[in-house]
Amino acid sequence: MSNVSNSAVRALNLEYKSLQDEPVEGFRVKLCNDDNLFEWEVAIFGPPDTLYQGGYFKAHMKFPPDYPYSPPSIRFLTKVWHPNNGDLCISILHPPVDDPQSGERIEERWNPTQNVRTILLSVISLLNEPNTYSPANVDASVMYRKWRDSQGKDNEYPNIIRKQALAGKLDAEKEGIVVPLTLEDYCIKPKSKPTNQEMALELTDFYDEDYDLDTDDDNQESGESDYGNGDDSGNGET
Amino acid sequence: MDENTQSDANNDELILQQQRQIEKEISETTPLVSDKQTISTLNSEYNDDAVYCSKVKNLAEKYISLRKTRPDGNCFFRAFAYGYLEYLVKNKDDYEKFRDLVQKAKDKLVKQGFPELTLEDFHDTFMDVIDRVAPSENNEENLQELHKLFNEQGYSDYIVVFLRLMTSGQLQEEADFFFNFIEGDCTIQEFCHQEVEPMYKESDHIHIIAICKALNANVRVEYMDRADGDKVMAHDFPEVNKPNVFLLYRPGHYDILYPK
Repeated sequence: MSNVSNSAVRALNLEYKSLQDEPVEGFRVKLCNDDNLFEWEVAIFGPPDTLYQGGYFKAHMKFPPDYPYSPPSIRFLTKVWHPNNGDLCISILHPPVDDPQSGERIEERWNPTQNVRTILLSVISLLNEPNTYSPANVDASVMYRKWRDSQGKDNEYPNIIRKQALAGKLDAEKEGIVVPLTLEDYCIKPKSKPTNQEMALELTDFYDEDYDLDTDDDNQESGESDYGNGDDSGNGET
Repeated sequence: MDENTQSDANNDELILQQQRQIEKEISETTPLVSDKQTISTLNSEYNDDAVYCSKVKNLAEKYISLRKTRPDGNCFFRAFAYGYLEYLVKNKDDYEKFRDLVQKAKDKLVKQGFPELTLEDFHDTFMDVIDRVAPSENNEENLQELHKLFNEQGYSDYIVVFLRLMTSGQLQEEADFFFNFIEGDCTIQEFCHQEVEPMYKESDHIHIIAICKALNANVRVEYMDRADGDKVMAHDFPEVNKPNVFLLYRPGHYDILYPK
């Protein structure tokens, strides 16, 4: 088994170092504990021009002993009201076992070239584009669909998210962290060559989403309170 | 989460635990690639089963020995890589061509969309192994080095990963052709993500054809199962060329063969 862990230590060292040298847009990573490479704390900044703008969300990533052959798990520590948040259902994070019931899109299974970068980018895409086929939080999923299907008229969903993003922002301020609010600040300019073509592509995809944010923004600022008192915990308490 | 999901989650956890336990037992008792053994050692696995014993006898007429590989779902790729490198160590011209193909494979795969950071690590490791066994005056030493590296999980599994990626790359490059050979309504890309790239996924004809093509290899597979007859069935990939890697297939598993 020690050999197995060697591969994991090696892969994690490589990735950790590369993320320090060349951070990914919208993320900060650090080890939960300096002498354990297998547990990371990640901070995710809400992407500008989305419901999550200004938000600051924290999560734990745990890597298995046979990483990178098997995927890590990720768990949010901050409240995130989201159809796929229980254990965030990113399908690449499921081990590649046969599971015809899961309803996942099969093209998204784990392979060993996937890494923390690709996972974190998937998290960002998933935030904005929930997978309602396998919701972990059914209430959030229903609410999301109502919002989507009503073309933004039913704005319970965006209101809760904006509220959580705001709460996250306060946490960030307490920690002395400035959450980037503009696309320009959010996108870190690569120091060296732009190697990560696929990453640029994914982000382009992401911003291509045609969310009609402006329309519901109008109602939102004023009509906030209806949802203010409800339970807006997004962590799908089990 | 309701009660059902809760117990499902617990079941998943238990299944995973049991799977890890089984894997641990296998890894403690079976080397990744064994030393050479005589063909007749296979008899002990079949308890006088008449069909198998006659086929083992038939196999022993053509082959002198075999190496067993660990049954972990990666056996085809591991057996193939070991067998092919054994051949290449002794054939300098083919070795050079092979080295060149692997060298160039990285950029090709990056262009096909694999993340460079991690891909590079697998590629570097594979190149390192290839260079460490380069044909030389003393091939005996090279073959020992090869055996040692293939039994170090770190190296051995990285080789498997890279071969899986090359297989996927080849399948996707010729998607129009290979599409005809997959079942169900999925695309070649989906098939690769599901059946080729993940570790521990077993290989089929389509994997063999693709990796042989990508690496210019010729593989003969001897099929041995309980089907009627007293002879093993040979199949060559591709059919027209003289094989340079010989594998034994028993349902679900590949080992390496050495012809007389």
